Amino acid sequence: MAVKKKFPYKAALVACHGGCRATGCTYGCTGCGTCVSACKFDAIAVGPDGVARVDEAKCIGCGACARACPQQLIHVHDCANYIVVKCSNHDKGAAARKQCSVSCIGCRICEKTCTASAIHVVDNCARIDEAYCLSCGMCAVKCPRKVIHDLRGICAEK
Amino acid sequence: MATFTINGTTVTVEKNQKLLRYLRDTLRLTSVKDGCSEGACGACTVIVDGETCKACVLDTDSLEGRQIVTVEGLTDWEKQVYTFAYAEAGAVQCGFCIPGMVMCTKALLDKNPDPTEPEIRYAIRNNYCRCTGYVKIIAAVKLAAQILKAGVLPEKGADDWKLGSRVQRLDAAEKVLGTGKYPDDVYLDGMIYASALRSAHPRAIVKSIDTSAAKALAGVVGVFTAADIPGSVKVGHLKKDWDALIPVGKMTHYLGDAICIVAAETLEIAEAAKKLVKVDYEVLPPVRNPKEAMTGPLVHESGNLLAHKHIQRGNPTEAIAKSKHILTQRFTTPWTEHAFLEPECAVAYVDGDTVVILSTDQGAYDTQHETAPMLGLPMERVKVQNMLVGGGFGGKEDVTVQHHAALVTYLTGRPVKVKLTRAESLLIHPKRHPMDMEISMGCDENGNIQGVAVEVIADTGAYASLGAPVLERACTHAAGPYHYENFECDGWAYYTNNPPAGAFRGFGVTQTCFAVESLLNEMADIVGISPWEIRMRNAIRPGEALPNGQIVDNSTGLVETLEAVKPYYDAAVAAGKPVGIGCAMKNAGVGVGIPDTGRVKLVVEEDRKVHIYAGASCIGQGLGTVLVQMAVTNTDLKRDDFVYERSNTWLAPDSGTTSGSRQTLVTGEACRRACEKLMEARNAGKTLEDMVGETYYGEYLAKTDPLGANVPNPVSHVAYGYATQICILNPKTGKIEQIVAAHDVGKAVNPLSCEGQIEGGVVMSMGFALREQYPIDGNCKPIDKYGSLGLFRAHEVPEIVAIVVDKPGLNVACGAIGIGEITSIPTAPAIADAYARYTQARQFDLPLQNTPYERKA
Ligand code: FES
Ligand code: FES
Repeated sequence: MAVKKKFPYKAALVACHGGCRATGCTYGCTGCGTCVSACKFDAIAVGPDGVARVDEAKCIGCGACARACPQQLIHVHDCANYIVVKCSNHDKGAAARKQCSVSCIGCRICEKTCTASAIHVVDNCARIDEAYCLSCGMCAVKCPRKVIHDLRGICAEK
Repeated sequence: MATFTINGTTVTVEKNQKLLRYLRDTLRLTSVKDGCSEGACGACTVIVDGETCKACVLDTDSLEGRQIVTVEGLTDWEKQVYTFAYAEAGAVQCGFCIPGMVMCTKALLDKNPDPTEPEIRYAIRNNYCRCTGYVKIIAAVKLAAQILKAGVLPEKGADDWKLGSRVQRLDAAEKVLGTGKYPDDVYLDGMIYASALRSAHPRAIVKSIDTSAAKALAGVVGVFTAADIPGSVKVGHLKKDWDALIPVGKMTHYLGDAICIVAAETLEIAEAAKKLVKVDYEVLPPVRNPKEAMTGPLVHESGNLLAHKHIQRGNPTEAIAKSKHILTQRFTTPWTEHAFLEPECAVAYVDGDTVVILSTDQGAYDTQHETAPMLGLPMERVKVQNMLVGGGFGGKEDVTVQHHAALVTYLTGRPVKVKLTRAESLLIHPKRHPMDMEISMGCDENGNIQGVAVEVIADTGAYASLGAPVLERACTHAAGPYHYENFECDGWAYYTNNPPAGAFRGFGVTQTCFAVESLLNEMADIVGISPWEIRMRNAIRPGEALPNGQIVDNSTGLVETLEAVKPYYDAAVAAGKPVGIGCAMKNAGVGVGIPDTGRVKLVVEEDRKVHIYAGASCIGQGLGTVLVQMAVTNTDLKRDDFVYERSNTWLAPDSGTTSGSRQTLVTGEACRRACEKLMEARNAGKTLEDMVGETYYGEYLAKTDPLGANVPNPVSHVAYGYATQICILNPKTGKIEQIVAAHDVGKAVNPLSCEGQIEGGVVMSMGFALREQYPIDGNCKPIDKYGSLGLFRAHEVPEIVAIVVDKPGLNVACGAIGIGEITSIPTAPAIADAYARYTQARQFDLPLQNTPYERKA
């Protein structure tokens, strides 16, 4: 179904980069596919790594997947904000570190580096306030856990 | 290590570093500007694999196989297109943000040749511009898209260079292409880097400074303290109260005080050495605000009161008491940071027996006058050359790095660069004064102002800077542009241990205008007439006397600006939209009896061209273009017969500080007078060839009466500009839909530049009214992140209608009145009034709360 999208574009974001289930993260994407069924636009699919991935070109940001996700780790964001946090682990640093190799441990390095004060660790997990983010990617470059991604794949992995 | 391509050339970078450092320091691709090195400003934007990226963020090690493009790597056609589009649209002011904006433009148009306006705004929204308000940059992107599609450059819209012509600025190309040099773009052979260690405490006695470990570090050239200063330790724009370095045994005044300067072969070594300096302090309690300053310990031995100003005419107390309607209200305005895109930087070197300073400042002669006595040298042995200035807005009137650079080169004999980091810049240069104002106004039943009484308390921070004249201007202009007789203002500026406060676009008037205009809006409601009508009734008209007694001349165009906004005002009111209004007046020229002289030298050189020398800084407003237009208009020569020379202290005569909206008028008139002399030679039949080697000198003293002069109608200022601005809100979203700004400029030298000043000033004061913050904590430490100041971004700026009103009547400078400051003066009260109507509640403190623009913690 083709829908005319209105600028500025919005799309769903899956805040998990995988690599966790085997080691006991209870927050991450389980690859259950609920979101895939909820999407009318064929814009979300579970990848070979077992993590749901959004095709921003197709997604209209309706939020159906976010509402359906049993893990509540999908949210709708502004596509122009390509610097994103892909983790939803809310455990304390040590536990989060054990559970996943790409988990946010709440070290707050991003918070200290951010010139715009746009990223904050809330409940042990970094969160970007997109209204203030200047998309410079400094947090992504400095993140010791590679939790922060650049959806364009320049400052950090997609 | 990584291998990647820059502008088509493959490079291998061994040592991991920020891409910005590699591009600038190794490849000397200086179009890539360093505005913050923290990812905020966007001046360093380059294109990486087709996407815009901030070069100060990327590590070279992460770039394996990438293709990188800078402005230098554009094709010749692209260079022509972007230069034409940016110049024709009037998008270039100080130019520091422009190469980054050009990169955003290219990245957008490469992917999307036909972008919509929202798409353009989004493409540049991660880049700040402090000068233009983005309006003309957006227009430039649109124009570039059209030209790229058409495949040929169009004709210039105007090319006759007469007054009133919308010509392209003369420095547009060098700024678009990044070939023009700001001090930071200068790299000299054998150049070292110096950086000052700043005080750890806002108020403390420096007991001892141990520099031995720092001096021992390999690569350190020297570590210098106040004991090494050959001349006066104190510098200062007006009052010499600013310690170049804090001597042992003396007190610090704020966290920006320099304790010692470290000079080293590289900046990294200098930074490392700073950490090895041991300073022993006796920490004292700081003075954090004017209230503490009134009773607390001393910031300076001379006492905490920097200045008290009292201005009175008539008897306002009695006039207000007898009035039908009386209002009294307290207002506050916050600290504001200039946030110019180019941080302070100076390069200095020794040439024979003189010290040469390449500087970014608002007056080369000011830098000379502050620096030479510090070095113990006669003036002529310190030469200052103005480079391009990446924005000033009042924040570059004091020396911050120039004197340090001069000292290091004098002591070491080596060329040196001193550049402030963005965090240092935020801490060190003087800010806009926060003010606490109480104001009473009385009106008769028809809304005619009977009297106004104002009290102002200003925090002037650690040093005098221009605090006293700023306070004075705040007081004199608190009267507003109205014809009434009873006015009194009492103002006090107190030293504190906060960062110093000084000049900032508007020079104190921004603050008191917010108070008096807001009160007038409330008064209109009480009287039962519209805020537009109350202004029309009170507006100063030619031949009438201002509350300061000055009889205004025929160029006085407040009424015309009110009429210019009227159709917009009426339509918005009729459509049920919340609309707010504010008026302002602003002097052009220093005024109040202080000698204020413009000087211009026209020299016909070997190239048979007339070189224009004026010791006056262009800080982005376009002074060079103004002077050339003035010269073309007042001679029989063509644009190409003139060469504008950047200000310096040995060829260009002192034409005063770029301050007080004075250059267009004061230096403009000096230029006109020099043209008169030149025309005498022309009229005698001389060709340019005959005139080679001749100099034609023009000087203009803008003569005014001192405050309190014993004459019935003192001339406080040679000219005033007038303005009316209105702010229209969208009643559904509460966002600003449109700001209409009508400005009386006498004669617009270049309406394109005038509009640019208006748009930039309006957006700057949208920040002042709605969001900008410069918070200072309990230990006098201010914010240190540029990206958190709350500056407006391209996608947030509403439609701005800039109306330039020409009104002849001023008999100097061909009638041209400076517009630099007034553009940001009436904006805040207009916005506050619109929100008062939207929410049914008036606010008296800036920035306003509970608007869609408010930044929640
Ligand atoms: S210098 Fe890179 S964003 Fe400011
Ligand atoms: S022109 Fe954009 S910051 Fe000066």
